[in-house]
Amino acid sequence: MYGGGNTFEGIKPDALAGEDPIKLAEFEAKIDRGEKIEPTDWMPQLYRKQLIRMIEQHGHSEIIGALPEGTWITRAPGFKRKMSLMAKVQDEVGHAQLLYSAAETLGKSREQMIDDLINGKSKYSNIFNYPTFTWADCCFISWLVDAGAIVNQLANAKGSYGPYCRALDRICAEESFHLKYGHHCVIYLAAGTLKQRQMFQEALNRWWPPMMHFFGPSDKISVHTEVLMKWKVKMGSNDDMRNQFLDMYVPKIKELGFTIPDPKLKKNTDTGRWEYTEPDWEEFKRVINGDGPCNKERLEVRRIAEERGKWVREALRAPKAQYVTPLA
Amino acid sequence: MTLFTSMNSLDPRVNRLPIDKVANSSPKAALDQFGTFEVFVQAKEGKPFQHEGIVHAPNIEMAYVLAKETFTRRFTCISIYVTDTRSVHVSAMTEGTNNAYENINDSGASEPKTSYEIYHLLKRGKQHIHVGSVTAGSPDEAMWRAKASLAGEKQVFNIWAIRTDDIRFTTTEDKDLWLTLPEKKFRDASDYKGGDKLKAFLESVNK
Amino acid sequence: MDQQALKELLYKMADDQLIMGHRNSEWTGFGPLLEEDIAFSSMAQDKIGHSLAMYNMLQELGEQDPDTVAFTRNANQFHNCQLTELPNGEYDFSLIRHFLFDTAEAIRFEMLTQSSYEPLAQVAAKIRGELRYHTMHAQTWIKQLGSATEESISRLQKSLEYALPFSLGIFERSPFEDKLIADRIFEGEAALEKKWKAKVEELIGQTQLRLPSWESLTPVVGGREGKHTEHLQPLLDEMSEVFKIDPTAEW
Repeated sequence: MYGGGNTFEGIKPDALAGEDPIKLAEFEAKIDRGEKIEPTDWMPQLYRKQLIRMIEQHGHSEIIGALPEGTWITRAPGFKRKMSLMAKVQDEVGHAQLLYSAAETLGKSREQMIDDLINGKSKYSNIFNYPTFTWADCCFISWLVDAGAIVNQLANAKGSYGPYCRALDRICAEESFHLKYGHHCVIYLAAGTLKQRQMFQEALNRWWPPMMHFFGPSDKISVHTEVLMKWKVKMGSNDDMRNQFLDMYVPKIKELGFTIPDPKLKKNTDTGRWEYTEPDWEEFKRVINGDGPCNKERLEVRRIAEERGKWVREALRAPKAQYVTPLA
Repeated sequence: MTLFTSMNSLDPRVNRLPIDKVANSSPKAALDQFGTFEVFVQAKEGKPFQHEGIVHAPNIEMAYVLAKETFTRRFTCISIYVTDTRSVHVSAMTEGTNNAYENINDSGASEPKTSYEIYHLLKRGKQHIHVGSVTAGSPDEAMWRAKASLAGEKQVFNIWAIRTDDIRFTTTEDKDLWLTLPEKKFRDASDYKGGDKLKAFLESVNK
Repeated sequence: MDQQALKELLYKMADDQLIMGHRNSEWTGFGPLLEEDIAFSSMAQDKIGHSLAMYNMLQELGEQDPDTVAFTRNANQFHNCQLTELPNGEYDFSLIRHFLFDTAEAIRFEMLTQSSYEPLAQVAAKIRGELRYHTMHAQTWIKQLGSATEESISRLQKSLEYALPFSLGIFERSPFEDKLIADRIFEGEAALEKKWKAKVEELIGQTQLRLPSWESLTPVVGGREGKHTEHLQPLLDEMSEVFKIDPTAEW
């Protein structure tokens, strides 16, 4: 589960200064031809750096993303939901496994990535710093956060880096289960008792603002990433992704009779774009920088998991073995 | 990092974590996550094995055990195998219309001969696929022999050669491991058809 | 065929699997290695699946539907052995329990492939591959950690000694043993226990762990007749928290 938003920092004008112009031209020609870049290919440092950053953040978002839904794993109501939620949270862990592996092919070890997550150096998707108060919050994530992630991931799967595309192909196939499962849960809440409907409406009220944040700051205030678009690292603008999500899911939410908590939300039929209350980007920044409702807990839980597992790994670790970068 | 004395989490599992017994973190030691193993999956009888990704594991036996659920917990599978990343011999990667076999030259034969498994990458961004095996005295010789017997018509961007003895295969008795895989419908989107429920709900609302 | 005897057998197996699967699912997202997190979760899912298959059989025999049975009974109505309900502790205990429990489970279902109760024999034949994976996973870990470092060996040793008396509770005799055996539904707990002990001896013998003499252990029994530790009721309360908001609702 991943949104676009927090991935990219501004690119310095001299970022490509040291690169060999001939190799750079060949690299760009390859991308233009639609050929994927593979790990052993020559690539500009900036491409490598930004990809590591993006894929690593995506991986972190998966492993942290397992926690808000995991909050309900021991309480899922009934056999069907119990097994589905277990499988769904498991998939998020699996996605982290796939993504860290893809990032590893670019030269950053999994050890470093996990360290950087725990010490707060690397970021992850903001939305997982919000709490899941009820079962309905969990259903919101399964359906709509995953829906948002799919919009983003389907776009990224058309990107230029081979190992990331392979990971995303597998991830997107699994996400189709998440999306259907999540929608199924919400349909049952919608068609259920008054209490169940209320539960979801309240979850929707809580989660709509972070959902609007999910795709990242609006293009008006985002950093310029033209070169990353050209290299097919970044595959769409934040606002385009958000618009696509609203196009697909606002009607489905309304169909179930729920009220989206934004009176200004409507589609402008002239422009084809959605209009909405400007999300609170100050809050977005605050949460990214560590001051959200669950940031501390999320990282502490990850840290504890790593520490508790340390003796297991230490027992079987071969410290003198030679590490080689995985192949693909 | 500040240690929590109590998590006071919404997750009962988190509240049960032995927070006070967990030490402060230090940066991970080298290979804390172990080395990597390459995982190959056979989806159906008659289909070739295909590279699916890697697992981190302390040794090849554990890699096999961990690969099974990491890569074959849904869709179809009848067999997997794993090998240490260090056991894979890799040709130069080509692009455009250059065939990877163009770079493979006769490096001379050596002894003793052993069996190698050969894999092709037919499209950048896709997976390496098993194409057959050759007998050779070295990985280079294996690629040279593959050029003669397995190269085929299609353009190949990359070739892998793995000594057959370096692979942990699925044994005949292990074939049962995937017996119930087709029945694990709860992991498939197809098991979550909400259409009828939704239709009934919409009809009840519109009444 | 004695229905009461059959039901008693199915209930205790189903309750074992449900509680074991539930406990093991608590590790999802908290495991020692991403790959192991995934593997352990899959086996937890399998266990829940097995229990569902048993509860479905019970429903065919006239009992209530699986959700009602699993999510509305109190601790004293559960027939799982106490081993399964113990808190997870650290990974050493969870692995040792998994090893002891699944070694028994694999033998039990192998025996049940011969059951005269056809639906049970069919399920037993079907899930043999899953149990093969569970035992393969458990044995690989125990063999490796049980012969690795001083810390891993002493951790496993301690957990083994703690878990063993509870694991003998798996084989607590039912009042219907003779009937089950006579009707060829199941060969009985005594036969299972004997095979299990031999297997555990063989596997522990391949490690640096020490197995105490069986005679020195006092089996912890009572689970099969509804006597449980203080850990089961809170587990059930947690499991049914959402379900009980409205047990008549569809979730």
